[in-house]
Amino acid sequence: MSYKVTEEGDVSIVHLDGEIDMDVTEKAKEIIMPLIEAKKEVHLNLKEVQYMDSSGISVLIESHQKANELGKKVILKDISKSVLKVIMMAKLEQILNLG
Amino acid sequence: MVAVRQISEQRDFAVSSASLKDVRSFSREVFEKVNIDQDLKDELVLAIAEAAQNIVKHAYQGEDTEDKMEIKISLNNGELEIGFFDKGRPVDKENVRHRKIDDVKPGGLGTFFIQQIMDAVVFKEGEKPWINHLILTKKINY
Repeated sequence: MSYKVTEEGDVSIVHLDGEIDMDVTEKAKEIIMPLIEAKKEVHLNLKEVQYMDSSGISVLIESHQKANELGKKVILKDISKSVLKVIMMAKLEQILNLG
Repeated sequence: MVAVRQISEQRDFAVSSASLKDVRSFSREVFEKVNIDQDLKDELVLAIAEAAQNIVKHAYQGEDTEDKMEIKISLNNGELEIGFFDKGRPVDKENVRHRKIDDVKPGGLGTFFIQQIMDAVVFKEGEKPWINHLILTKKINY
């Protein structure tokens, strides 16, 4: 997994790339959580994520819940077909913010 | 490439989260030989990777080990069988369940995915030297 973070005003945009599995979830959390804790709105661009497993989905849930606690939002952007399929399999499409 | 109707392939992997990408590569290589649609291939790869992840997470509880786990993929007359063999802690079958899917919290989804994708999930005691033997099956139309 690789990533790039860009800032647009109060929004941090995290572009994730590659495969997100148990092996990289800690790294993903290290990238995303400080942005949420800094009370930024976080957009996760998932266009280039070709694979995500249950561990990756857990990162999305944790991020969503942390942002909710702080009155902020994590919005999933440009979700790749394969990631969307896994989100739907987990029945999270009505719970996570899909933008 | 000519699609095959029978397959029996197995490979050993280090019990480590770093091996999960190799598990996926192996699974993709095997399913590349079978004439099934890409969505189904992707689902099967996910189910296999989730089961391998459960070995790392639960049978070994993330501990470092020199042990290997073995994955065997067999296809015969449309019956796909995927075997997982490990030497970790014995699986307590009574405690293998996914969380309630409407209880939104991180974790517990891997087993749910496996059950969604496969027709049957069976835990057996492994024959020596193995401790656990998990069998996932699915009828495949091809």
